[in-house]
Amino acid sequence: MLLHIGGFRLDIDSQGETIWHHLIPQTRVLCAVLFVFAIALTPNGRWWTWAIYGTTVTAIILASRVSLQVLLKRVAVEFVFMGVVILGTLFRDGGQVLWQWGWLRVTTEGLTILGSVSIKALLSLLVMNVLILTTSVPALLHALAALRVPPLLVAILASMYRYIAVLAEEFNSMQRAARSRNLLGNGERQRTVIGNMFGSLFIRTYERGERVHQAMLARGYEGFPPMADVPQTKQRDIVAITLTAILALSGQAIYLLF
Amino acid sequence: MDTALLSISSFFPLHWLMPQLAMHIPDGFLSFPVILLTWVLAIALIAVSLNRVQEEYQERTVPLMGVCAAFIFAAQMINFPIPGGTSGHLLGGTFAGVLLGPWAGSLVMAVVFIVQATLFQDGGLTVLGANIVNMGLIGTFGGYYLYRTIRYALGRDSFRGIIVGTAIAAWTSVVVASIVCAFQLAISGTVPLMVALSAMVFWHVMIGIGEAIITVIAVSYIWRTRPDLLYKAPRTAPINASRPLSPR
Repeated sequence: MLLHIGGFRLDIDSQGETIWHHLIPQTRVLCAVLFVFAIALTPNGRWWTWAIYGTTVTAIILASRVSLQVLLKRVAVEFVFMGVVILGTLFRDGGQVLWQWGWLRVTTEGLTILGSVSIKALLSLLVMNVLILTTSVPALLHALAALRVPPLLVAILASMYRYIAVLAEEFNSMQRAARSRNLLGNGERQRTVIGNMFGSLFIRTYERGERVHQAMLARGYEGFPPMADVPQTKQRDIVAITLTAILALSGQAIYLLF
Repeated sequence: MDTALLSISSFFPLHWLMPQLAMHIPDGFLSFPVILLTWVLAIALIAVSLNRVQEEYQERTVPLMGVCAAFIFAAQMINFPIPGGTSGHLLGGTFAGVLLGPWAGSLVMAVVFIVQATLFQDGGLTVLGANIVNMGLIGTFGGYYLYRTIRYALGRDSFRGIIVGTAIAAWTSVVVASIVCAFQLAISGTVPLMVALSAMVFWHVMIGIGEAIITVIAVSYIWRTRPDLLYKAPRTAPINASRPLSPR
């Protein structure tokens, strides 16, 4: 699970000096979200719409100068994980039968849905990965706060992000301890040990939460963490959002007008 | 059509991949009405649970919910063998519900899915609402109330009530969530209903067994060591608290 995490350094390209990087974080978030929704909500079989969206996504990738190798590697791994669900869309009735082997048949409708779904999943993955690779997590959280996500939710997200690595390390060291004592032998043993591990780690986690709370109180915490100043919206941000909206709409308009 | 999938699974290593995929649907798999409905439900769930949790935990909310969400996130990365020869990982919905209660539990699960979808692209952004509904609302909220009913019927303060409730709720919530997910995929016209149902439900019956076993062991560990940490803690201290289960 989550093999693609690797390290927890996500924003390897966040220090760039390109047009994309000059947009303030909330503009980048807004553009990406708008675009992902436009891509995913397009009905199946509208190839020209995705041609427009695909060109735009390529333009964003080139403009943001993300490391292509990293981007493609991440997308490839994530795509493999989707592979099985995507294959499930192929074998169905409807349309012409193109290929048949016993009851296993591939029809034109199955191919249309397979193609559409893969393109949608791929383009959405590309957009989200460009966003995550170019924007640091604190910047993302500030952007969410600026976009009127409830501050309490943003604060919980921030505190969670801070402790993921800590807890993953605790899980690892506990597993290592169990393994070095030869406790992870057969399946039943493994389940008992891992179940006990979850139990004791939950207790530790809860106590850690209380300790963190005490530490926060000692530093003058009053219920909401302070938020840094959000950068002001500039003209180019408005241009970027308008451009995204126009492109998203024009992709859909092709099929409405012609 | 349902035999179709069984033999597809002999071509592709479905039994290895299926549990890993769990119920995280990628972008592009759901149609607009399904996305709209599930997002509305998910936002309502998050909004109400944020208020409830803030009332209950006051300014402890942020650190406690934060570490608990990180705990579930990290726990989901641990694989364990499921009886039947495959391996899977904890979804943790019922576990969170039993320990933190329905509101805090579903808030924690929602936070986990938000982080997985945005930072790690595990599950799509547009289908985040559906993922929150399937595993937060059904898994945690539904799971908790099923657990509560069984626990109160068998005795609120008894070990038996808590364990039986946990086991049934953990298995049922996983299976029901997978059925709902199969219907969402079918209504969206992405995967035919029979294929979706047989694929999702078959694997999640197995995954549910693993989920139930691990949740029961973890909850019984907590019962034996810190029973006060269970949501609605037993009013009497456990008598003859034995040692935690140990491998033989």
